[in-house]
Amino acid sequence: MKSYDILIIGAGSIGTPLAYNLAKKGKKVCVIEMNASTGRGQNRAAIGGLRATFSDPAKIKICAVSINEISHMKENHGIDVDWVEGGYIYPIFEEQTEKNLKELLKLQKSMGLNIDWVPADEIKERVPGIRPEGLRGGTFSPNDGSASPLKTTGAFYKLARECGAEFNFHEKVVSMEVKGGKIVSVKTDKDTYCADLIINAAGPFSREIGAMCGVDIPVYPDCHEGGITEPVEYFLRPMVVDIRPDAISLNYYFYQNYEGQFVFCITPKPSIKGTDIDNTSNFMPQVVGRMLSLYPRLRNIRIRRTWRGLYPMTPDGFPIVGKTKEVENMFLATGMCGQGYMIGSGLGKILSEIIVDNSHEYDFILDQLTLYRDFSGDEMLK
Amino acid sequence: MTRIEKHPVLEVPQGQKEVEFTFDGQKMTGYEGEAVSSALFANGIRRFSLHRNGKAPQGIFCANGQCSQCTVIIDGLPQKSCITPLKAGMKIETLNGVPKLAEDDRPVEHTERRNESCDVLVVGGGPSGLNATIELAQLGFNVILVDDKAKLGGKLLLQTHKFFGSEEDCFAGTRGVDIAHILEEKVRSFKNVKIYTETSVIGVFKDKKAGLFVKNKNYVVVDFKGLILSSGAREKSVLFKGNDLPGVYGAGAFQTLVNRDLVKAAKKILIIGSGNVGLIGAYHALQAGIEVAAIVEIAPKINGYKVHADKIRRMGVPIYLSTTVISAEGDGKVERVTVAEVDEKWNPILETARTYEVDTLLVAVGLSSADELFTLADQYKFNVMKTGDCDEIAEASSAMFGGKITGRKMAAALGKSDAAIDESWLKKATVLKSRPGNTKEPEKPVITAKFQPKFSCLQEIPCNPCTTVCAKKAIKLKGGTGTIMDTPYFDGECIGCGMCVAACPGLAIALAKKVDDTKAEIVLPYEFNCDFKEGDKLPLTDIDGIFLEEGTVIKTAYNKKYKTTLVTLSVTAANVADIAGIRYQSEEITKPCPLPDFTYAPENSIVCRCEHVNVKQIVDFIKENKVRDVNQLKQIRVGMGACGSKTCSVLMPMIFRMAGVDWAEVTPGRKRPLTVETPMYAIVNEEEN
Repeated sequence: MKSYDILIIGAGSIGTPLAYNLAKKGKKVCVIEMNASTGRGQNRAAIGGLRATFSDPAKIKICAVSINEISHMKENHGIDVDWVEGGYIYPIFEEQTEKNLKELLKLQKSMGLNIDWVPADEIKERVPGIRPEGLRGGTFSPNDGSASPLKTTGAFYKLARECGAEFNFHEKVVSMEVKGGKIVSVKTDKDTYCADLIINAAGPFSREIGAMCGVDIPVYPDCHEGGITEPVEYFLRPMVVDIRPDAISLNYYFYQNYEGQFVFCITPKPSIKGTDIDNTSNFMPQVVGRMLSLYPRLRNIRIRRTWRGLYPMTPDGFPIVGKTKEVENMFLATGMCGQGYMIGSGLGKILSEIIVDNSHEYDFILDQLTLYRDFSGDEMLK
Repeated sequence: MTRIEKHPVLEVPQGQKEVEFTFDGQKMTGYEGEAVSSALFANGIRRFSLHRNGKAPQGIFCANGQCSQCTVIIDGLPQKSCITPLKAGMKIETLNGVPKLAEDDRPVEHTERRNESCDVLVVGGGPSGLNATIELAQLGFNVILVDDKAKLGGKLLLQTHKFFGSEEDCFAGTRGVDIAHILEEKVRSFKNVKIYTETSVIGVFKDKKAGLFVKNKNYVVVDFKGLILSSGAREKSVLFKGNDLPGVYGAGAFQTLVNRDLVKAAKKILIIGSGNVGLIGAYHALQAGIEVAAIVEIAPKINGYKVHADKIRRMGVPIYLSTTVISAEGDGKVERVTVAEVDEKWNPILETARTYEVDTLLVAVGLSSADELFTLADQYKFNVMKTGDCDEIAEASSAMFGGKITGRKMAAALGKSDAAIDESWLKKATVLKSRPGNTKEPEKPVITAKFQPKFSCLQEIPCNPCTTVCAKKAIKLKGGTGTIMDTPYFDGECIGCGMCVAACPGLAIALAKKVDDTKAEIVLPYEFNCDFKEGDKLPLTDIDGIFLEEGTVIKTAYNKKYKTTLVTLSVTAANVADIAGIRYQSEEITKPCPLPDFTYAPENSIVCRCEHVNVKQIVDFIKENKVRDVNQLKQIRVGMGACGSKTCSVLMPMIFRMAGVDWAEVTPGRKRPLTVETPMYAIVNEEEN
């Protein structure tokens, strides 16, 4: 049996930066990943948006740390992960939505977030060519941005290995042995492991992992499709999020990445449950129709690739982070609800301080994101 | 303009509509409807874009809609010039780095979802797809046939040579271009076949639908009960310094320019690869009036049919074995190519380097099946079949047969119980795609006082037109296979009609007779523009192209059916048994420069053409990050470009080996739709028609 201080299940958006931060603090870390390499679960499907402008203290804090980590990756570690501080814009067309958002802004500003209501003219300036019909203005948060999920996870993988973390790919956890309220061994299809702490960072598959040690984790995946275009000369800085629903979809969003490519995604209505990640014929006509009605300038851009990824959803739309009560040495870092990439870099740093340094600075995060909450809330800006 | 004005086999079309267009502001003319890439070539343009990564000049590579290296700006939009038909007044520009998106902010007035359904969707209207369609249509199925070119026929349209194979099964002895017309006419005669040309299938989707990008304008979602992929193959890439220079391109692209669009694409070429594609490339070049410096082959033996190679040598093109290209150089385009012999591990021996002054290097190192959509549809558990080159790289004769069989198989799969497949078809399909078999030792023929055929056909290949055209059925096959793989011999009466000489695709049959003890006569095939007069002296060679003597023309006769001239020559009796062909190209043309002129930097070879990533960058990244998953190379943009790793994926095993990694440990890259970049206006059918 191989023995480690910490065993992480999942080398994705969450597990990889976590492995780095824990290994950096001297822990003997091993990461088990069923795919061939890092980020090949849902990280590869993330579109790269990074924002801290949420409405709850936990995500605001975690994502602020993420943005700090990613925006300084080049400076601190010499690795370029294509960070662009382009901001997020939510163009608003309905009076009621304007009211709701302005209410929320008060809360967000009280939490120190750099976000404000901007008039329609400013939206038109920042999103050149946007259709002005009915545009009331919108929110703009200039310090949010985007980076490459692929490069970010690649960077953390490199850094983690340099700090001594081990990664075992093509390996799947199949069972766990629990004795006296503790996981004494973790069996994979290749080996058996034991560790002082086992971190479940298995995203959409974390419920199955929980079931192996008697913990019911309410994470249920649904799927979203995304796409990317050819690169064109840079002209759009912010991520544009249109939160108006229509008959078959909720919000959709797009931005121009560091390479000049437009990346876009839509939230289907009703949500499509399950773990199927095969492309469907509906996606492109659906998302393109909506994007062009708002932003016809994109009519001439060519779509290069499309894909489908999973959102590991929780009932209230918030992640699940913290120790389990059922078994003492399982720690959850899962249920990111499609925001694993923007959460992962910050969460890795914060959890290493909690786990290794016993820091109590982030108790509010653990309190808010505990598995043992009642899951009755609702995230306003999913 | 550099157009082919006269061609020994192809009819040069008259009365094509000439239209004006501009390229980077300069006025040019081309033919309406021809591929923009061909029009540009005809105007001497080789550089189509400057890569955004380092401003490296880029030209065409595949000219087949696959690689996207031919992208230019047409009327403000980046377009693949090889699949965009030329229109009057087009404003064409070099794509300089990243294109600027037009600021077209008009509201979208019209959107529409278009759907169609059919029994069988056939993707690719080449030899296999056309035949599959015909079989299905005859059995009453509704078929949608899609092809990304303007004309049906696929690679048949590029093939000016006579076909190998058997005459009754696959039109052997007929030229590909003519076969394409026969098949197209047939397919168009069915009311239950709907044809989409200039249409790419950009993806197949889990909900059993396929997306069609139609005429650069519309998007149609098709649902189907059965799916046949007859989407052919694409040129493999090869690594050497300068492999992305304008002027380095696929042999298929060359055939497209020269044979389909009649553009004199080069002055002088060198060919890498001795498969049938490379060998035929040399032949097509010579027919188009283009010089061929050499064919080089890294392996110690010819990869294609011996009969093809021998024919090319006799025409005056040297084939160098155990030799490869080590560098292509020039100021923004190919000006010289350096080759070197290789050791037994295929490492170049630089001391043997020779430099040739050529303007074009044809890459003919093999084809890989364009089967992404099959793989995907198969994963989705659709009723999907692949045929032709998409299934297995082989001759078009085999593809035609394979298409018929696949058509029947699909019919059976869709419940047509009487769609039986003749057992003999399966046997023939297997024979027709056979690799060459044994080569026999040459036997010196006995030349008599009466004309009779002699054969320079020593290797077993699937071919028999000589046996079927012989008026006296005196040409027969013998050998160990008992099939059309066997080699021919003469047994019976010869009336001297010369049909076997004209029909042989390998130009490997001559008629010979002795006149007296010193003089003899020989009838040789000649497939070039021919204005020989009685008394003209022609250089004659043996089977391998070694010069034997000058023969004197007695007469010429043109065989219209086979578009081949039969030249009767007076030769010496001493050589008549050995004379096998007429040299076409002088030795002078094939001489290298007096001194080699190159820099050796194989690490600079481009692997990912779309994103311009070279060998060194990838190997270093693999080593530094212990990469065992090709998908991780996307971090340095490999496979992230327009072609979606179609071109570079075949090079990956070699690249990982260079980095010291066993390919068996490596997870290949995941290929995703779209197979062709598609503008958003088309997806929503913004333009109604």
